[in-house]
Amino acid sequence: MTELSDELLVAYVDGQLARKQTRAVEKVFDQDDIIAARVEALKQAHNRLEAAFEAILAGEEMDVSAVSVPVQESSLSERSILKVALAGVGIAVALGLAAVGYGWPLSFPGLNSGTQGVMLPVQTAPLSTDWQEEAARAHALLSRASVEVGVESQSNPDFVAFQLSQILGTNLKIPNLEPQGFRFVRAQALRSGGAPLTQILYLGATGAPLALYAKKGEGSGTLTEKHYGEIGTVAWAEDGVAYLLAGEAEDSLLMRIATKIKLEPAPPLRSAPKAQTPVNGALDR
Amino acid sequence: MLPRLMRFADVLVGERGEGTGLLSRALHCMLAEQYRYQVGTALDVWAFGEIYRTWLHELRGHPNPVAQAKIADAGFEDLFYQEIDGYLDTPVVGFLSGLPAQQRLTLLLVYGEGFDHEDAGRVLDVGTDIIAARLVRVSAALADRLSARPPAPAAAIVETLYPEGLRG
Repeated sequence: MTELSDELLVAYVDGQLARKQTRAVEKVFDQDDIIAARVEALKQAHNRLEAAFEAILAGEEMDVSAVSVPVQESSLSERSILKVALAGVGIAVALGLAAVGYGWPLSFPGLNSGTQGVMLPVQTAPLSTDWQEEAARAHALLSRASVEVGVESQSNPDFVAFQLSQILGTNLKIPNLEPQGFRFVRAQALRSGGAPLTQILYLGATGAPLALYAKKGEGSGTLTEKHYGEIGTVAWAEDGVAYLLAGEAEDSLLMRIATKIKLEPAPPLRSAPKAQTPVNGALDR
Repeated sequence: MLPRLMRFADVLVGERGEGTGLLSRALHCMLAEQYRYQVGTALDVWAFGEIYRTWLHELRGHPNPVAQAKIADAGFEDLFYQEIDGYLDTPVVGFLSGLPAQQRLTLLLVYGEGFDHEDAGRVLDVGTDIIAARLVRVSAALADRLSARPPAPAAAIVETLYPEGLRG
């Protein structure tokens, strides 16, 4: 057995080694089961720690989101008041430091007005009222691929996931939202700014559809709410994919669903589903 | 950024109510002493450092700082969002709650926040070698704990001591 210290193996698992060292370590554990098992155990420890910290952040995001929803004065608990105040002070500190650092012209309206007026604002962008413009904007999202993803393939989620991953050029999550009351209806490929954009549509028992959009790209991992007229959205990015959950559901429900999707593990690498041929059928049997 | 600051304070003190209070006091200090912020410093690194320094300052003023720094398991478990299938990684939660605050924060900054060792060291006011040493020690201990086989039940041990062929 080759001796490799935990120092080296932890640095390997954490991605702290140079490429040459990484290759050398990989060469050793390819030939040594004990080292390979140790690396696997360290990787598992690393992944479970990351997931644990992600779960704490999800709880904090839910808390902050809850603070942004207006509440009756009489229902404010002591802790809610503290959190609202905290949110206000936090924003003031961030803006104040940004002003110091970047010279932004800022004032702090409401900072001295006690806790009641301080809320985390959900941004609202105006929606166009001209239907022709709206239709033209929606049409700009269509691409050849929008039409080429055959409707008959929609009954096979693996095939849909594979096709969308191919179109997007990276793996993406296609979550099952049935426990949240939304069933998968269909998915399609669109385009935005010349790059592929995927849309996965869900329907609840009533009301308008819920859509999960995904586009290749980086961004903030924090769940961010924004409104476009009646449409509420939550945006975040992970593993090189930027997601946008959009719908007319309540803010708290959208945030809960977005949190669930974000906490789901990344999908495994997708390979093409087996074609249904007589030979494959016989092999499967 | 606010959820990240809240997580940092909560993980530091091990409980949400206390964490909210600590963050509130630290934010007030930051606001009052914002002249100490140096242009070019990452805002999150500075803010995390200020929360940590506030906690350390308050702890030093306490008559029994060691007892004060210990955290309760129940309050710590509540920090983890469990809506998805009610899943709680109990071994990891138990392991984290048993760590000293500085080691817990090292893990949070590197594995939770994705900070490099230098930035994590800046927040906790230690060198990169200490950060690296803490990561090795804690990761190795957790890996050992997660890969340890459960103890064999007593009946199984008796069976091994007295195999069938040797019984009267």
